[in-house]
Amino acid sequence: MEKGLDQINAVPGVGGSFLCDNRGDVIVSSDPAVLATVTMNTIGREVGRAFVALETAGQKASRIEFAYDTWRLLALDIGDAVLFVVCQPDASMAMVRMSADVAIGGWQTDSAARKRLERHRAERRALVNSTQLDQGSWSSWAVIASR
Amino acid sequence: MAEGLSGSLAQLPLPDLLKMLGAGGQTGRLELTSGLDSGDIYLAAGAVVHAESGPHWGEQAFMRLVGWPNGQFRFESGDEPPERTIDKPLDALVAESVRAAGERDAMRRVIPSMDTLARLSRKAPGPVVTIEAADWEVLALIDGHVSAGEIGTLLGVDDYEAVRRLYRLRMAGLIELATPQAPAAAPARQLAGPQFFQAFTTAVAAALGPLAEIIIDDAVEDLGFTRSTLPRDAIASLAERVSTEIRDTDKRVRFQQTMLAMLRQPAA
Repeated sequence: MEKGLDQINAVPGVGGSFLCDNRGDVIVSSDPAVLATVTMNTIGREVGRAFVALETAGQKASRIEFAYDTWRLLALDIGDAVLFVVCQPDASMAMVRMSADVAIGGWQTDSAARKRLERHRAERRALVNSTQLDQGSWSSWAVIASR
Repeated sequence: MAEGLSGSLAQLPLPDLLKMLGAGGQTGRLELTSGLDSGDIYLAAGAVVHAESGPHWGEQAFMRLVGWPNGQFRFESGDEPPERTIDKPLDALVAESVRAAGERDAMRRVIPSMDTLARLSRKAPGPVVTIEAADWEVLALIDGHVSAGEIGTLLGVDDYEAVRRLYRLRMAGLIELATPQAPAAAPARQLAGPQFFQAFTTAVAAALGPLAEIIIDDAVEDLGFTRSTLPRDAIASLAERVSTEIRDTDKRVRFQQTMLAMLRQPAA
């Protein structure tokens, strides 16, 4: 899996990448890590929930791009995990996305990578509950889930 | 009589026309037009008593109008001036206008545009420097980056007055002027070229078969280019767009790997 991240990180303008399971735990990260572990955990958990919310709202997405002033974050849903790529604003996002697709394609045909992902498997929907969310988010979730 | 008199300023210059009307002791309005510009000069008993042109009135308007190298005129005899803003004899007005026109030409040679930048001279022009209060206001604004137009705006004066003050300071040796450097032209975007399309078609055909050419043309058009205008920096977007057409995951990944390898090659 590290090799896949290395290929992504070789794209000009990419600062690093990491893969989080649906709880937000980091499965693998570029070395050196592009962000603090606690930050990657938070991003992983929240973006995982965002994918669940979008699907529940009837707007299923497999990719979210966050564009900030000084960096961009590409999040790709691969079911058991979410792949994140941290880029500079001027990075060629087409190249980044294709590199990410190639890395994901490689993991899907690599039995060791598949086993590693399976060990981290967690039903996302089960992670969206009142004990995991603050009151406002839980209310919003209840509205989305009731549709 | 002068009633209904009209013609071209190129054939009958305004100073000569005014002298003619003045000698005849005419009263009326001389209507002047030049392109979209227009103005009026009023005479009373042969003397110029008022002028207006756009926002300008009085002598300022007269000097502006008398400087027109061409245009049309029409004299309406009997029109009374709305007010009297000029009380100089015609000869003095014309002489003053000629002097002002010469000054304008000289200023234009020194300050050719309102984008001209001013900076303080590094060396004083003499042991003692005397500056008018109005010029001091200009000096206080000069930092090497402010343009003639910006000085006018900051001082709340028109372009002519801003240029006049800068010209005076330049003639006194207190400032230096520079024409701003034009920004360097953006480098031409390198084109993908026919060699790329040859390799690209092969890669697309391997993934999508005989429809490759049509799919490529559609994708290039979607990006707003043709094969001959597609820039090299749009190849990644083109490849990504085409890759979405490849349903078979293995083929799509292989195609993307090929394209990424192609993109990583340095430009020829």
